[in-house]
Amino acid sequence: MRAYLEPGAAVASVAFAMAIGVYVVAVIDGTASRLVAGGGRSDLGALLVDPLRTVAVLLTQRRRRTERPDAPGWALAPGLLGGLAATGLAVVPVGPGAAVADPSTGFVVFSAAIAFVMIAVFLHGWSPNSLFPMIGAYRYGAQALSLQIPFLLAMLATALPAESLAVMDIVEAQADLWNVVRQPLGLPIYLMVGVGVSFWGPLNLPDGADLVGGTSAEDAGTDRLAWEIARAAMLVAIAAMGAAVFLGGWWGPLLPGPVWMVLKTMGVLAVLVASRHLLARVRIEPFVVACWAVFIPLALVNIFVSGALLL
Amino acid sequence: MLFWCFAVGSVVTAYLVFRTDSMVRAAFWLLASFVGVGAILVMLAAEFLGMVLILMMAGEMLIMAVVMVMYMMNPAGLNPMFMVHQHRFAVGAGVVSFVGLSVVALTVDFPDQPVDPAIDATAELGFELLGDSMLVFQTAGVALLATMIGAIALASRNGRFGTADEGSQEPSLEIEELESP
Repeated sequence: MRAYLEPGAAVASVAFAMAIGVYVVAVIDGTASRLVAGGGRSDLGALLVDPLRTVAVLLTQRRRRTERPDAPGWALAPGLLGGLAATGLAVVPVGPGAAVADPSTGFVVFSAAIAFVMIAVFLHGWSPNSLFPMIGAYRYGAQALSLQIPFLLAMLATALPAESLAVMDIVEAQADLWNVVRQPLGLPIYLMVGVGVSFWGPLNLPDGADLVGGTSAEDAGTDRLAWEIARAAMLVAIAAMGAAVFLGGWWGPLLPGPVWMVLKTMGVLAVLVASRHLLARVRIEPFVVACWAVFIPLALVNIFVSGALLL
Repeated sequence: MLFWCFAVGSVVTAYLVFRTDSMVRAAFWLLASFVGVGAILVMLAAEFLGMVLILMMAGEMLIMAVVMVMYMMNPAGLNPMFMVHQHRFAVGAGVVSFVGLSVVALTVDFPDQPVDPAIDATAELGFELLGDSMLVFQTAGVALLATMIGAIALASRNGRFGTADEGSQEPSLEIEELESP
């Protein structure tokens, strides 16, 4: 175990980062929607206020009930997903020696958080005791289990040059050369996996429109709000980790480290969020095949190349 | 204090595995129990092992829930069902293992060597695995990989003789002439 903040300060800083991040996701999403699809509201003020308007609408909506749901599971799922996003964010360092938590196994902590997302999504779809949410839950099971191995392999390759599982060391090892240059295959795989893990845009299969909303089909009001916020927070955590382990984290000329970190996170976040408006949705069957037959071998090649460069 | 929270939590959730009436809930209670054990491992300064336990169990419990639901013809997993079988044997086995573990816990003189916080347990474990145990570790890794590839090959829909669901149909003995309209 290494550096830790005081518990109160740690929780406050992660919550602050999550709140800002979720708002940024909503604003980028609205902007991308207007730029790509056209129409909608055009002025900057409207784009900034729209997320708050959505929140207000959802807060006044009535919640929905189903017949004999698993109420604790249903209530737990968004909280679990949000908590996992917070866990993931907490191990991302923002500057040299500046992280909420930097355990020597930060990489494993983040991976465990990503692995638990499938529990959260499955629980969310299974608990309402309703058809479409349950299909969404099983679909995410297939999607997430296929994603896990490419995700772990892509992340693991970044730990090789650092010879450490601590995220701080992984960023430190990119002083001369960022991992995005050293492992050109890593970042695309990571981004694809990131979109899939947070079931966003082209890989929004468990909550897709073809399942009339999938796992969140029975959600309304605060339930839906909590779920959307948790999902956006997950995107933020993935973007922050991607910026740290692939784009060199705080390394950069002129500007101070944390500013670079925020800029890079915003960049990755913009790519992730815009994918929803730029790419067509994928079907689950070819996607699962692609994961096992294409992305795992590619991620293995990535690891072998990184290992060969080390020797 | 934290230790007792996790310890009691693990035992209670492990008990609930057998008291619930749904396979999915049972799998998730078991997961909660494992997370408690993983947290205790982290508190014992075995960070890597604890976190890997938590990481692995997430996927495994989901797979277990899906497989159980598949075999039980109860797609939702929400229908109430009885989760306990072989009562007498289970009670006997439970009592025996409880007594055995209690005897071990009370009689054995456990070593009491708090780990120096300066030691990086993860790095130590890495040296241990990649030092003397390298061969064992690598052999186990290759064996596991071969098992995974074999399992995927067996479970795959596309086999050498066509897709699995076509192959499962009984072939007709004679080719019947098509009736002309």
